[in-house]
Amino acid sequence: MSSSSQSTKNIFSLTEDLLVRVYEKLAFESDRKSFRLVCREFRRIDSLTRKHLRVLRVEFLPSLLQKHPQLQSLDLSSCPRIDDGVVSLLLTRVGPGSNSVSWASWTQGLRRLVLSRATGLRFSGLEMLARACPSLESVDVSYCCGFGDREAAALSCAVGLKELKMDKCLQLSDVGLAKIAVRCLKLEKLSLKWCMEITDLAVDLLCKKCVDLKFLDISYLKVTNESLNPIASLLKLEVLCLMACPLIDDAGLQYIERGCPSLKAIDVSRCEGVGSSGLIAVVRGHHNLVELNAGYCLTELSSTLLHWIKNLKQLEMIRIEGARISESGFQVISTNSKSLLEIGLSKCVGVSNMGIMRLISGCINLRVLNLTCCHSVTDAAISAIADSCRKLVCLKLESCNMITEKGLCQLGSFCLLLEEIDLTDCCGVNDKGLEYLSRCSELSCLKLGLCTNISDKGLFYIGSNCTKILELDLYRCTGIGDGGLEAISRGCKKLTKLNLSYCNEVSDRGLGYISNLEELFDLEMRRLDKVTGVGLEAIAAGCKRLADLDLKHCVKVGDSGFWALAYYSRNLRQINLSYCAISDMALCMMMGNLTRLQEAKLVHMTNVTVEGFELALRACCVRIKKVKLLAPLRFLLSSEILETLHARGCIIRWD
Amino acid sequence: MDLKERLSGDLQNKEHPSFTNFDTQNQQKWEDPSMLDYSTRIEPPHFLGFNQSSQTQPSNNQIKVPGQDGPVNEALQANKVQEWDPSTMLNNLSFLEQKIHQLQDLVHLIVGRRGQVLGRPDELVAQQQQLITADLTSIIVQLISTAGSLLPSVKHTLSAATPSIGQFGQFGGVVFPPGQGMNGGVQPQNASASKVSEQPNTVDVSSNSGNEQNHIIEEHDMKDEEDAEDGENLLPGTYEILQLEKEEILAPHTHFCTICGKGFKRDANLRMHMRGHGDEYKTPAALAKPHKESSSEPTIIKRYSCPYAGCKRNKDHKKFQPLKTILCVKNHYKRTHCDKSYTCSRCNTKKFSVIADLKTHEKHCGKDKWLCSCGTTFSRKDKLFGHIALFQGHTPAIPLDENKGSIGSCNYTQKSGEE
Repeated sequence: MSSSSQSTKNIFSLTEDLLVRVYEKLAFESDRKSFRLVCREFRRIDSLTRKHLRVLRVEFLPSLLQKHPQLQSLDLSSCPRIDDGVVSLLLTRVGPGSNSVSWASWTQGLRRLVLSRATGLRFSGLEMLARACPSLESVDVSYCCGFGDREAAALSCAVGLKELKMDKCLQLSDVGLAKIAVRCLKLEKLSLKWCMEITDLAVDLLCKKCVDLKFLDISYLKVTNESLNPIASLLKLEVLCLMACPLIDDAGLQYIERGCPSLKAIDVSRCEGVGSSGLIAVVRGHHNLVELNAGYCLTELSSTLLHWIKNLKQLEMIRIEGARISESGFQVISTNSKSLLEIGLSKCVGVSNMGIMRLISGCINLRVLNLTCCHSVTDAAISAIADSCRKLVCLKLESCNMITEKGLCQLGSFCLLLEEIDLTDCCGVNDKGLEYLSRCSELSCLKLGLCTNISDKGLFYIGSNCTKILELDLYRCTGIGDGGLEAISRGCKKLTKLNLSYCNEVSDRGLGYISNLEELFDLEMRRLDKVTGVGLEAIAAGCKRLADLDLKHCVKVGDSGFWALAYYSRNLRQINLSYCAISDMALCMMMGNLTRLQEAKLVHMTNVTVEGFELALRACCVRIKKVKLLAPLRFLLSSEILETLHARGCIIRWD
Repeated sequence: MDLKERLSGDLQNKEHPSFTNFDTQNQQKWEDPSMLDYSTRIEPPHFLGFNQSSQTQPSNNQIKVPGQDGPVNEALQANKVQEWDPSTMLNNLSFLEQKIHQLQDLVHLIVGRRGQVLGRPDELVAQQQQLITADLTSIIVQLISTAGSLLPSVKHTLSAATPSIGQFGQFGGVVFPPGQGMNGGVQPQNASASKVSEQPNTVDVSSNSGNEQNHIIEEHDMKDEEDAEDGENLLPGTYEILQLEKEEILAPHTHFCTICGKGFKRDANLRMHMRGHGDEYKTPAALAKPHKESSSEPTIIKRYSCPYAGCKRNKDHKKFQPLKTILCVKNHYKRTHCDKSYTCSRCNTKKFSVIADLKTHEKHCGKDKWLCSCGTTFSRKDKLFGHIALFQGHTPAIPLDENKGSIGSCNYTQKSGEE
């Protein structure tokens, strides 16, 4: 008793600055949460020192912002109800006690703002934010599909911006980008992926104005070689992503050869027009290249290209998905690129055991190896990999059918650092193989989809040894049942992501075990024919953190399960209820109660009437961002609700 | 009929050696028995006559010299031929060679079969002729364009004897004297002539060939810019200055049908129209151009003066710059000295005196008004972006910056009106 009081006294006797230091050592968010919950003093320490805040519910935002004066980074991406009104409220009146100064104090130190998927926000709110936060350096508005030029103009008010992510701001055109380019001259990182309206003109202007750019992502854009000329003039550019730019070709890459003196990484994957000669030009011009992603744009890794790749002494990552590569090619890479950490050979033609052996004989530092769909790879190659690449962290072997427990035995014996392994569709994997594999105790991601030869016995080994597993994919592992899930739930307590789809032996009892996984975040359980409302109730009550749930084709689940979800799973963000036997009432309850819900797939639900849909959508229209409905409903739902959804930036996918 | 006279007149200027070579080659071929019918049409004696006459009239040539450079320049500008590429030339020449060989083979074939088909009707002969005519035409077109590509370099190096493109065109006219029921080669030949129709003389020859020709010329004239001849340096006195009166310029039609009274802007069109009034207007003589050049001096280049006193285009102006064609005169006069009576129905601000200008404007009016934050508007986005790149702090304006809620091009015009 006395010793316990002594220890209590000790920890309270720590001064504030020491407590702050202790607090700063806590790496995991869950640990910090525990720290907060110790006592008021600790909570105060947390509030005072906290720099990053990720808010889930808008209703707590005002008080949270008031309590955290040191805030530097604010993430509102999981906060579906954020809109212009909320922003103006936050900026002018923070909590009931504060004086109504021009801008709230929390904005002064804010450097980073994540507004990804903040579809309720519009340009006026953005402009207020941009003007209110003088130190703003980084903004993420990716996947705000409704954002366009006016939003870009609003963002450009933050003149100190160094980092801007505008992926999939579909309405953004040259005019909006020009606004940003002209005003945000300090820009260093810019991502414009899927901003389909952008043309060469704006890219040209951007490169003329924002000369400090270090990172530029223009993937999927319809820009031409005309854009590469100005891009080549960027002296500080280090990373250039041109993925799937259909109009860029080898001639354009000649500009890159002569320009971009600081280039470290280039991604030209899936550029239809790019071939060997373009890549040769890039490689020839940049001996210091660290990353080269040429996936699906080469038919063959030609000897000329290899000759130039030889000169890349600092190359750490190379991806040549889909290309034909010869054994001598492997030899060249092996002998010259000693620094390679990652090789992507997914769907490459000509990947043989001999080739792999030659490759890994030189590249012993390899961390990541992707051999997806290299069908001729057998245990011999895996053994060689395990033997030489002891530092391997990630190995992808999807569809490598020849692999058996022998290969896994080698991996389990030597690659003890392995964190991620993808064995999807490797029908040679069996329980014995899993036993060997379970020796890799660092494993955090294990994909066993379509491995029909594994059973509860195999999962038992995994559950017993791989306690660090975060992600487990058992898609269509028809051999497993409730017993395996029991082992998993007992051993893999940190599991956040689990796929049980089409494991049709799993019943309510199995889900009962799963409900013990408190960290579970994402659960996919399509077509579990034996599961009823009882199983779902257990999940809802147990997995409090559940955010993503797929119940498609779980036809036996009754309303009791859905009621339970509506009551307990308040953190649900995405749900798929297609083909479920849910009633009008249960649907309305769910959609109304689940205040974090952002995306719902609601097709082929035979028990739900049009009125049911109408009411359910009305109940969630202020926060839902994406909803999938059957096409006939387009004409049956009231125009009022459709307009409201549209005005809130919700995307309706008519199936 | 005056055709002969005119042809010989036109031919006086030809004396390029390579060209004569070509003539003789062809003549040799045409002397082939199978071509007898054809060769009578081309009237070889003219070629002889032309050589002689050009030698006997040196003074005539000298007069023409300064005037010739001008058209060459124009032809260059029009064709956008900037450099002479020897490899292209070689390609063209080998193409020609090939073509000529093909034709030769064809003629040989015809000669060979001649014995067999002796008793056949004339249709076959006509077909053969058509075939050969077509081939010859393509050869000539190729030759003209090849020679045309050579011209820029020739202009500086060779002396006054260089034939202009227009003269090549005339040659085409000579080989196929129009208006005599030519069956196959008429249309291609027209095309070749229209290529070089910058040269006014060409019009004279080829307009005989048919209606299509006139249309082509008309279109071409429409595009003529009044400033097109700015690069031309005609020495004063080397050309004839004509000055149309105001009424003449503004008159809509200058040629009227004597039967129905319908008005035309061009005599050639009137002549085509006349064909509809009876067979007597369909004779080659009636269709042929009234003989202006044959009677007057054909080598004198005509330039036009604007009747408006004090205008730079008026011949009394110190720095007089003549206008090239009547159409130039008309457009110049309307644009510069007349009221702008055509108002754009879209923007209601822009006014034009030439209806074609209005039409051009209306195509672009209202749409894609690109506006900079400084208030400057641009018709094209790239122009706006060029402007923004140039000036510090300028940004493209988004219409809804000021006007929340509505989208539309009308906002642009409103805004530009305000500023």
